[in-house]
Amino acid sequence: MALLQIAEPGQSAKPHQRKLAVGIDLGTTHSLVASVRSGQAETLPNSRGEHLLPSVVRYLADELPQVGVKAQAHLVDDAANTVMSVKRLMGRGIEDVKRLGENMPYLFEACDQGMPLINTVSGLKSPVQVSADILRALVQRGESSLGGELVGAVITVPAYFDDAQRQATKDAAQLAGIQVLRLLNEPTAAAVAYGLEHDQQEQGTIAVFDLGGGTFDISILRMEQGVFEVLATGGDSALGGDDFDHEIAEWMRQERQIPAQLDLAQQRFLLRLARGGKEHLSDVQNTTLSFSGWPGAAVYSDLELTRDQMNGLLDPIVGKAIRATKRTLRDAKVTIGNIAKIVMVGGSTRSLLVQERVAGLFQQQPLTDIDPDRVVALGAARQADVLAGNQSGEELLLLDVLPLSLGLETMGGLVERVIDRNTPIPVARAQEFTTYQDGQTAMAIHVLQGERELVQDCRSLSRFELRGIPAMAAGAAKIRVTFQVDADGLLEVSARELTSGVAASVQVKPSYGLSDVQIADMIKASWTNVEGDRSARSLREQQVDADRLVEAVTMALAEDGDRLLTAQEQQGIVDQMEQLVIARNGQDHHAIAKQIEVMAKASDAYAAMRMDYSIKRALAGKAVDQL
Amino acid sequence: MDISQDYFSCYGLPCDYSVDLAVLRQSHRSLQQTHHPDRFVTGSDSEQRRAVQITAYLNQAYATLSKPLTRGIYLLQLQGMDPLAPTNTQMPMDFLLQQIELRESLEEMHQSQDPEAQIDSMASKLQHQAGQLESEFAHAYDSSDLGAAETAVRKLQFIVKLQQQLDALEGALLD
Repeated sequence: MALLQIAEPGQSAKPHQRKLAVGIDLGTTHSLVASVRSGQAETLPNSRGEHLLPSVVRYLADELPQVGVKAQAHLVDDAANTVMSVKRLMGRGIEDVKRLGENMPYLFEACDQGMPLINTVSGLKSPVQVSADILRALVQRGESSLGGELVGAVITVPAYFDDAQRQATKDAAQLAGIQVLRLLNEPTAAAVAYGLEHDQQEQGTIAVFDLGGGTFDISILRMEQGVFEVLATGGDSALGGDDFDHEIAEWMRQERQIPAQLDLAQQRFLLRLARGGKEHLSDVQNTTLSFSGWPGAAVYSDLELTRDQMNGLLDPIVGKAIRATKRTLRDAKVTIGNIAKIVMVGGSTRSLLVQERVAGLFQQQPLTDIDPDRVVALGAARQADVLAGNQSGEELLLLDVLPLSLGLETMGGLVERVIDRNTPIPVARAQEFTTYQDGQTAMAIHVLQGERELVQDCRSLSRFELRGIPAMAAGAAKIRVTFQVDADGLLEVSARELTSGVAASVQVKPSYGLSDVQIADMIKASWTNVEGDRSARSLREQQVDADRLVEAVTMALAEDGDRLLTAQEQQGIVDQMEQLVIARNGQDHHAIAKQIEVMAKASDAYAAMRMDYSIKRALAGKAVDQL
Repeated sequence: MDISQDYFSCYGLPCDYSVDLAVLRQSHRSLQQTHHPDRFVTGSDSEQRRAVQITAYLNQAYATLSKPLTRGIYLLQLQGMDPLAPTNTQMPMDFLLQQIELRESLEEMHQSQDPEAQIDSMASKLQHQAGQLESEFAHAYDSSDLGAAETAVRKLQFIVKLQQQLDALEGALLD
């Protein structure tokens, strides 16, 4: 018997109908779309049965762009209009891109916000637009496979993506007309794909080891009653399977004494030969590398490569990943014995050496039964299904952390950390600052992301100004700057002057972010430079304090020194000030600190006199109700 | 969910230094399950904004209550005290001398023959001191001697800072 269904206006007529939602892995080399059907997550193929969509877009003069295999076919003959690996450009500035630019055949132009634009026959294209074209193709595939309009998508991003890269990804989705249910970190998605939360008894710590072509991510997650919580995330964004190929290619070059100066075709030849050999050695113990077809005049004889030999070459690279893993375990405050499961992600984890080293470190076999190329998309699909509201009862909840610390520039080019990396998100933190000069009415807010102590070593995310601060004595205004990071890892900054209520806020929408190499360098350097940074920081801090004091006292003396002090008193202060300037120009922060103290003592009484005078003056001639 | 209430009330815990961490964790999980922004992806903008605020508040509350140092500071702040005020620099001389010694031995570890053993021994020393200060705080707070409680928590802050520096040193040495 069919029940009569009554729907109120605005309500769905079929409340139990499944909402269509997909998970999208927007990858550097290829992308995937997946969905949960009849309780199972599966990747969706195109009409030819292909699941992987190459992340390549070719722009044509008067037609819609081609995406995927069709576009890939023109990488060589129409290189300038065929865009690949656009993920590397997301959230980057033109300067970062120029550094990557050596092997990119595109014509770049900068737009106003510093975002790189690619000059194609169909006009200027931003990385966001190119990504949007890939997303459109994936959504179309999803809608035709599932037979209806999608309510939204979960899109995965590397755990390491900074605010600019996340924002660019979200912008691309918006441009493609997709509702983003959530930006999800790739390692979290991979852990979810294995459905580990279904083992009721299972509560434990999971390591997700993600070694792709060019990046390495390691995340430590805790899983408990359907809640996946990221404890720490780390890695090296310039480490991957491509390094394996380069290492083997370099070995071949040296073995056969091939000159180091190679043209592009010769480089490609060596790399292709290296990759082929690497893959072959997954199945056999030794392989022959043949130079037949070498694009050059010289003739080189075949080379034998054994698996052991190759492992010897690759071991130092894998060792870097293992060290980063140990470091992240420490960040997460867990030991190897705490790890219940290891999830492998990324094509390079097919390498037997990688699997052996990981098993050796954790003293257990990693999980490899889900295709490491698809595992991220499958996990995203499960999360999309939950977020669309298709699951009831005990629900899956994914809690992420901030990948890189956020801070503000303070005097002297120093970064004041506001939120540390690995803090669970969403998070809101406020920090109070004050004015530096008498009568200061505006304050520049400079938002930074990174682990280092000096502004120049961190990534600038945004600058804005808080204006209209009422003129007060230096240090009297109270400016509260609030950082809020949402569940997608996106930052919003607002500032307010507390005594007057003047407010300013920005959705941090920077035009560029960190380059891969920069992220790797920043993380690495923060470990090696802790000591140097600290003394540099102390020196800079003392110098800033000294400058502030000298400036304040000089201005004060000019203003009312003659009125409030005797000539002798003034001379005493000036003498100490000269001593301070000498110390300040030296390198010894202890000496500066000491002289600041002496100087402060010498001018204490004067400061008190000024304060009294200023209050009297402010109150003079005002009625009580005006105060 | 009222995000102006104190952190103890939001988890239904008594306002006390001793906290059952398992209960705290359980309670935090279930509140997150209800209030996380993921539960409002199809909701209105204001619902989503509210969810971000509540979850940020919960994360702050959990971070504060789950660690002995921040929990102690928070308890005193609820009593209208400000143990972290920059003007608050008076510390007993013997404690300061001991701190200087610890700091010096930390700096010397770089040149040490067997830094790992030294790190371990210092870590357990600090662990022991932290434990003592925690019971000192608990005792003082329970007997409403807020001045003594404040001294204990400020000492604890020194120890926690040393522990962090030791962790960083260990990380740098093991890399």
